[in-house]
Amino acid sequence: MEQFIINLLNGLSYGMVLFLIASGMSVVMGAMNIINLAHGVLYMVGGYVGWTIAVQFGAPFVLGLLTGGLAAGLVGLAIERGFLRLLYKQPNEQVLLTFGFVYILTNLSLWIWGGWPRMPFTAKVLSGSVEILGKAYPKARLATILIGFILAIVLWWLQDKTRVGAMVRAGMDNKEMTMGLGINLERLFALVFFVASCIAGVAGVLGAQLLGVYNALGLEILLLALIVIIVGGVGSVQGALLGGILIGVIDAFGRALFPKLAMFTMYFTMIIILLVRPSGLLGRRT
Amino acid sequence: MKTANQQTPTIPRQGQMINLVPYVAGVLILVILPVFLSSYSQSVMTRFLIFALFATGYNLAFGYAGLISLGHAAYFGAGGYTVAVLKLHYGSDLFWICTPLGILIATIIAAIFGIIALRVSGIYFLLVTFALGQLLYSVAWNVSWLNTPGMQGVSGLSLPTFGIAGFTLNTTSFYYLVLLVSLICFYLLFRIVNSPFGHALVGIREGEDRMRSLGYNTWLYKYLAFVISGAFSGIAGVLFGYYNYLISPTHLGVGTSFLPMCMAIIGGVGTLLGPVIGAAVIIFVELYASIMTPERWPLILGGLFVVAIMFAREGIGVYLWRLCNKVGHYYGSTKS
Repeated sequence: MEQFIINLLNGLSYGMVLFLIASGMSVVMGAMNIINLAHGVLYMVGGYVGWTIAVQFGAPFVLGLLTGGLAAGLVGLAIERGFLRLLYKQPNEQVLLTFGFVYILTNLSLWIWGGWPRMPFTAKVLSGSVEILGKAYPKARLATILIGFILAIVLWWLQDKTRVGAMVRAGMDNKEMTMGLGINLERLFALVFFVASCIAGVAGVLGAQLLGVYNALGLEILLLALIVIIVGGVGSVQGALLGGILIGVIDAFGRALFPKLAMFTMYFTMIIILLVRPSGLLGRRT
Repeated sequence: MKTANQQTPTIPRQGQMINLVPYVAGVLILVILPVFLSSYSQSVMTRFLIFALFATGYNLAFGYAGLISLGHAAYFGAGGYTVAVLKLHYGSDLFWICTPLGILIATIIAAIFGIIALRVSGIYFLLVTFALGQLLYSVAWNVSWLNTPGMQGVSGLSLPTFGIAGFTLNTTSFYYLVLLVSLICFYLLFRIVNSPFGHALVGIREGEDRMRSLGYNTWLYKYLAFVISGAFSGIAGVLFGYYNYLISPTHLGVGTSFLPMCMAIIGGVGTLLGPVIGAAVIIFVELYASIMTPERWPLILGGLFVVAIMFAREGIGVYLWRLCNKVGHYYGSTKS
C-alpha cells in the first residue's frame, strides 16, 4: 500500500513536469497550427538558466524559476517574431526552421554551459522530507506536484474563463472571422507563444530537480511532449494535464513493476490510444 | 503549404527529351568524376548518393503524397541493422542475402507503422511517426541482441561480398555499386511518380476529399506510398550499413529522420531531382563545416536550415530546374 502511494506520487510529480512541457506546445499547436520542434530546447534553456541561478549563484529557488521561465520565453518570442511569424500555415517550413533552431540552440548552450551534465538538485527551501504513511517522501517532489497543479489551474482559468482565452479559442476555430471582429490575432499569437515558451522554461527548472539538465535534453523532452500531446489530445490545457498525469503514472508504475519494459510503457499507451481514439483522449475530433 | 503547392513545377512527362538533359548530365558527372578523386572524396560521394537515395525515397511519401513523416530513419536504420545483425550473429556480409532481407524488414516495419500512423493526418501524422521512430531507437538501445557487447550499436561491419571467388570491393568499386543501385531505384521512383498511381498521390496531396469523391481509396494510396517509401529507405539503410562500418541507435532516431526531410525541403518538395540536390548541399556543407569547425558545425548546419527557409523557400532544386528550362528556351528546343 505504501509502495503504491509512493509510486503514485512519483508518477504524479513526473507527470506534472510532463504536463508543463506539453501544455505550451499543445496550445501553440492547437491555436496557431505551429509545430514548434524547438520546444524541448526551450525547456533545456530554462533548465540551464534556472540551474545557474539557483545552484551556481545560490539564489532563491523562486528566482531560478522566474529567470528560467523568462529566458526561455524571450528566446521563444525571438523565434516567433523573427521567423515563425512569416511561416504561418506552412508546416514543412516550420518543421525545418524549428529543427534548425534545435541544432543552433543546442550548440550554443554547449558553448555557454559546457558539455558536463548538471546533476538533479534540491532547492534549500524544499530540502527535507515529509512523512507519508510511515515513509519519508521528499518535499521537493510534493512541491513539484503542487506547483504543477497551481499552474494547471491558472492556465485552465486563462484559457476558459478570461477574455484573452476566449479570443484565442475563437482564433483556433475560425481565424478569418476572429480577425474580422477586430481582434489583433498576430499580437495575441505572439503572447500565446511567449507564455508557452515561459512555461517550458519553468518546467525546465522544475524538471532539473528531478532529471538534471544536459545537452541532449532538447530532443528527449520533445519526444515526451509529443507523446503526452498524442495521448491527451491537441489544443487544450486539460488534454495536456490528463496526458501528462497518465504517462507519468504509467511510467512510474512501469518502472516499479516491470523494470525491463519500463522504457516502452509509454509507447504502448500511445499506440493503444491511437488505435482506439486517434485524436487523443480530450482532443477535438477533426 | 498553400504557397508551396502553387509553385510546384509540373511533373515532366515521358517523351519530352529536353527534360532528360539534366538527368543524363548528372549521371555522366557521377560516373566520370570519381575517377579523378581521392578515395576519401569518393567515400564522401558514396555518402551523398546513399542519402540522395534515402531522401528521394522519402520524398515519395513526403513530397508526392503529402505525408509529413518524421520517422523514416526507422526504416533506414532497419536496413542498416539487418546488415549489422547478419554480420554480428551470422558472420555474413553477402550482398545477395543482406539487401533483400533488409528491404523486406524495412518494408514490414513500414507496413506496421503505417497502419498506426495513418490513423491520423496532417501534423498529427508527424507526431506519431516521430514517436514510432523513437520507439525503435529505444528498442535498439535496450535489446542486447542488437548491440555489440560493450557498446551501443554494432561495429566492425565491412563492405559487401558477392560470393564470387577473387572479387572484393574497395572504396571505388563500392561507389559504383551504390551508384548502380541508386540509379535503378531512381528509375523505379521515376516510373512510380509518372504512373497513374503517382498522379493519384499528387491529387490526394492537393485535395483528398475530391479524390475520394472520384472513387479513389485514398487511405490505400497513402498507405502504399508510405510503405514503398519505407522500402526505398531500407535500401539506403542497407547501403549505409556497409558504407559506415557502424550502426548505432542514432541512425534510427529523429536526427537521422530529419535529414531526408530537410534535403527534400531544401532541394524542392514534390520534385524528383530536388532531394538529390538537397542531399548534395547538406552532405557537403556538413562535411566542410565539420572539417572547419569540429565543435561548431551544428551551428552552421542549423543556420543553413534557417537561411534556406527564409530565403530559398521553394527549394534550390526548383530554381535550378527553372534555370535549365530557361537555357532550353534559349537554344530554341523547348517543349516544356
